[in-house]
Amino acid sequence: MSPWRNILFLWIFLCLLSGCGAHRAKRDLIVLLPDPDGKAGAITVTTGGGSQSLDKPGYAIVVEDPNQAPSTSQPMDQKEITDVFGPALSTLPDPASRFILIILYFERDTIKLTHESKDLLAEILRTVKRRQSHEVYVVGHTDLVGKEAYNNELSQKRANYVRDLLVSRGIKPNTLFVSYYGKARPLVPTRDEVPEPRNRRVEVIVR
Amino acid sequence: MKHKNLIRLFLALATVFFLLSISGEAISANKSSSIATVQKVSGTATVVREGQTIPAKIGLELYENDSLLTGRDGSMGVVFNDETLLSLGPESLLVIDEFVFAPRQGKFSIAIRMVKGTVAYLSGLITKLAPESTHFQTPTSSIGIRGTKFVAKVEGE
Repeated sequence: MSPWRNILFLWIFLCLLSGCGAHRAKRDLIVLLPDPDGKAGAITVTTGGGSQSLDKPGYAIVVEDPNQAPSTSQPMDQKEITDVFGPALSTLPDPASRFILIILYFERDTIKLTHESKDLLAEILRTVKRRQSHEVYVVGHTDLVGKEAYNNELSQKRANYVRDLLVSRGIKPNTLFVSYYGKARPLVPTRDEVPEPRNRRVEVIVR
Repeated sequence: MKHKNLIRLFLALATVFFLLSISGEAISANKSSSIATVQKVSGTATVVREGQTIPAKIGLELYENDSLLTGRDGSMGVVFNDETLLSLGPESLLVIDEFVFAPRQGKFSIAIRMVKGTVAYLSGLITKLAPESTHFQTPTSSIGIRGTKFVAKVEGE
């Protein structure tokens, strides 16, 4: 037996003992998944070295070093996701029936509901009744056209309009929670000053 | 590898015993209301509250500053008062540093710290109503959440 072979065995033995080659730096893996309704939100991972956004479901970010920026997002296959996160995912409580989100859209620069959205009022009322809800959130938004202050006011007017409408249809005022965000939280992100009908909205969340 | 893990386990146990010994009388200081409920448990899963280790059972109520800890075969899922859903896989540790859901006062805050292991997270009303008040921290980074579902794996120390 050559001495080299002994050295090789010794090396392997020492490796097994000490775990050499295994990188023991702290390492985080973050994977965005589709929401229960099929859409995906967005998350931002920030380290001491920078930030990285994730907005595609099934994509992952790796952080190797807290002082460096996170990796750019990479797709991760379903099998690998299940291998690593299976037990956690299978113990996640059932998301069905947590709350219902209904979005009402408005005509540009007004507190006038679009024709289609008027029909949704009945659905909101039915949902509140069916769930015997004591918590209904009414959240006003605008698109990105115009100044911030103007849009804050417009989104507030829209939210108050919907609140008053719901109260007039018999929803108890003390179960309604109104808030508004102007142009700060578009549903469809656009550049500033871009008209976007889907952002002119009031979100009604019935718990 | 195995050696290191054993030493780590030993150190962790020693720390737990030490904390138990010094904080035995401070329990029950927290009279505030519960913030979440355990809804699923599998294998070894515990809640560490002010030094006390409580076996996680379905229906167990959680409070601010609770730590959730799972064993080698353990996992657990919880529902927060704002319908945020969170679950841990095996050998995981997570701390709920802060949770405030008071829509009547317009106060919202959720601060979660993942120490090690795997977690699945589905944001609830707080993230919908006040996304900037959600804070999810790992040993290397902070995760900003805008209404979404994600999983994370943290290798920890």
